[in-house]
Amino acid sequence: MADPDLPRSPSNLTLAALRAAMDPLLAPLLPGFVEEAEGLAAKVTLHLLDLERSGGGRAFDDLARGLHTLKGSAATIGLDDLADLAHRMEDAVLPLRGQGGVLPPALADALLRSLDAFLAHVRALAGRGGEPQDLEPARALLAAAQLATHAQPSPPAHTPAPPVKPPKLPVPPAAQEETPHLSPYDQLPAAPRPLPPLPPETPPPPSPESFPPALEEGWRVQPHQVVTLLQEVERLRELRLRVDERRRELERGIALLSRLGVLAETAEARALLAGTSRALAADGEEAADLVASLEEGLKQITTLPMRTALEPLRRAVRDLCKATGKEARLEVVGAEVSLDRRVLEALRGPLVQLVRNAVDHGLERPDEREARGKHREGALTIRVEQQGNLLFLEVADDGRGLDAEKIREAAVRLSMLTPEEARVALPQQLWQLLFRPGFTTREEVSAVSGRGVGLDLVRAQLLERRGHVEVQSVAGQGTRFLLSLPADLGSSPLLVVRAGEQLVGVPMAAIESSRSAKASEMLVGRGQSTLDYRDQRIPLRDLGALLGLRQPEAPEPGTPLLVIQQQGERIALAVDEVLGDKELMVRPLPAETRDLPAWQGAATLAGGELLLVLRPEWLVRPESHVAASATPARRALVVDDSLTARALHRTALESGGYQVHTASSARQALEHLRHTAYEILVCDVAMEEMDGLELTRAIRARPETQGLAIIVVSAHDGEAGRARGAAAGADGFLSKRDCASGRLLAEVAQVIARRKEGQR
Amino acid sequence: MTVHLPTAPVAPDLLPQDLRDLLERRAARLRAPARSPEEDRVFWVAEFPLGEERWALPLAVLRAAVPLEMVTPVPLSSPQVVGILRFQGQIISALSLSALLGGHGWRQDPAVLLVVDPGLGRLVALDCETIPKPVALPHSLVQDALSRSHGAVCEISLPGAAASLRLLDVAALVSRQRAPRG
Repeated sequence: MADPDLPRSPSNLTLAALRAAMDPLLAPLLPGFVEEAEGLAAKVTLHLLDLERSGGGRAFDDLARGLHTLKGSAATIGLDDLADLAHRMEDAVLPLRGQGGVLPPALADALLRSLDAFLAHVRALAGRGGEPQDLEPARALLAAAQLATHAQPSPPAHTPAPPVKPPKLPVPPAAQEETPHLSPYDQLPAAPRPLPPLPPETPPPPSPESFPPALEEGWRVQPHQVVTLLQEVERLRELRLRVDERRRELERGIALLSRLGVLAETAEARALLAGTSRALAADGEEAADLVASLEEGLKQITTLPMRTALEPLRRAVRDLCKATGKEARLEVVGAEVSLDRRVLEALRGPLVQLVRNAVDHGLERPDEREARGKHREGALTIRVEQQGNLLFLEVADDGRGLDAEKIREAAVRLSMLTPEEARVALPQQLWQLLFRPGFTTREEVSAVSGRGVGLDLVRAQLLERRGHVEVQSVAGQGTRFLLSLPADLGSSPLLVVRAGEQLVGVPMAAIESSRSAKASEMLVGRGQSTLDYRDQRIPLRDLGALLGLRQPEAPEPGTPLLVIQQQGERIALAVDEVLGDKELMVRPLPAETRDLPAWQGAATLAGGELLLVLRPEWLVRPESHVAASATPARRALVVDDSLTARALHRTALESGGYQVHTASSARQALEHLRHTAYEILVCDVAMEEMDGLELTRAIRARPETQGLAIIVVSAHDGEAGRARGAAAGADGFLSKRDCASGRLLAEVAQVIARRKEGQR
Repeated sequence: MTVHLPTAPVAPDLLPQDLRDLLERRAARLRAPARSPEEDRVFWVAEFPLGEERWALPLAVLRAAVPLEMVTPVPLSSPQVVGILRFQGQIISALSLSALLGGHGWRQDPAVLLVVDPGLGRLVALDCETIPKPVALPHSLVQDALSRSHGAVCEISLPGAAASLRLLDVAALVSRQRAPRG
């Protein structure tokens, strides 16, 4: 941060001295600020030129917003001199707002040259070339132009501006003596002291030598080029999956050759094919590594962690507190979320604005807080969460809340509402006024706020990115600003866990801790189990059961438990396995599954598989699990290695009132049967490893499953198949053709009745 | 027959009989109503078996047939949803065609997914026993059947065929999903 006591005379403006005066924590943020300032300055310049040419209210608002952001961002990284210059530029512009005229050329000139000085100074500070600027001449020029502007009425819009002689820059006395003719601008009040020249208005054309080496500057890349690259990586990933599929086909071919029994004759061919298959597997692995590496590289190019925008705010809060005599603590949740750089840039300004507002307007002074029974230190919280391709951001304070009466009064004073409209306006309607350009409840302007340029800037910047902002407030308790905007490229840290055969991602931001289950810490009941956690009893839930994959199981000692915390609620979640954490891009689910409250989206794993990502608030809300945890009287287990066949049998059985669990293998089915009692088991005959007949025999060998009715389903109809099923212990036999004709439910009812009869 | 036409204008009555017959036949052909372009147009469908029946969907909506691999089941989804999969960089739903049609079953386990564009701004995949075969149907027959149908299925009676063909309106079919369980 710039030292306020640092002398500002040109002789002391050495780069080393200025850098030494900067806070070492903020210095690394300078390069980012240079880019932001350059972007903002380009926009401000366009608005200035527009206003100088043709005037217009909207351009004035845009100009004011640009300068306001420039000021806030400079202050945030401790560049007080630059923040002050931007503040003066704002001062020069705002009195003209709403007059509808064009910008007086002298003022436009002063603003443009101040902007040049601003940029030259910040570029020098960041080591991008040039010398640091003495900003005093720019301040003086602004003051002079302001005086001249307010001494004359602003020319109306759409009238050609008089020819303008470029304002004469203050020059040293010796030089003045050599100037025989004085322009009207020379009659302006004299600058306080002789000033060194400002940087030239128009930079000289660049010479080849003036271009820095390309590697330092980087390349300018258009967003669509990056998006195209991302799509190509997706195609590469799919190609990799197809290579895998080809390899599996090859393996099937080799197995077929082996089954034909002509082993000697095909030995050479099989060896060759086996070698090709191994090579394909290795190629597939390499392609997967390439995809992961490309994706990581693109992610680094296109995204930045949210903390790069949030960390500077801590210093801003501290400085604002010092300036306003308040005390505040900033807590940030979700800083590790990575965001599309464009989104992050768009958020910097609104975040600075909201935090400044929270400290200046929201929080009470320490003694006032104590008198109200609050902690002296106000709490500011920024919470960031990415759900699918939407980013949610909350900026909350525990201050005095919005004052509806003050807003009503200001709305009437600023002619935004009639007294009658103000009287009947609902709180939410009043809160919306905060986002109107020019709205402020302050009658005096401070360095921090009161200009009415702030929340309208927040809304405008969010709208530019198709975002949205809402405000909620409770008098005496605080205010929350809720921002949401699309963020297609961001990624979130996820913990990948397994429940049954299903892999799911749990957002790391919601995981407070993880531990192994210990019998001494759990209380397992019939209705609900609990875990002793930090002197509390918190609900203990089985993820597999919550997802409807099985009946709730009491965790065995050693089972991984995750403590999930969301919106003040905590639960312990039992999972079958923790596979590790990953930084993945979460994308929205397709329309057919988008409304499921359990899932926020899906991410792609390195191998191309999709990983469903849980919504933490669904996990902690018991009311959302009613459907999943209800215990119907009848349960069915479908065992089939075909996903679509499982779905089909499930549909039929659910329509008959059964709660259906599914298993994709005999091994998984036996695991289900170890924990849960079923009334009926529908099992495919042709399965790999252990077929349906072997499974039936294994079930019949267990005394505890003697009451279970079993139907085997085969693609081949025939007496021999039926006989083999019956011999294995099955109660019924259906062909796929029978299932197709809708006979499953009728057969289920018959075999259950027969089994019960046989048990008597 | 070779007819030598006179090179100079001649009154019709003076023409030889064989020539007058030829001209009359040509005139009759020109007087006959033109063959409707509708009769020449065909409507391409992708035909596949479902249970014991012949089903089809408009070929124009079919984007791809992909192996039924790498589908991720979605717990708590509606029974018609087999899962989700990636297709050309998008995440799309795989739906059970059989479940969507209300319990019709397959004779064998579906091996392919038909990626279709129902015109709803998104793609979906439908499971299928085999890769469908393209079949051209008379356009007028399809139009006639469509004008009589109201739901997602339009029954087309093909001349000479023992069983009718059921043509799916994929958009209507996909839009009538049941509610999820979660």
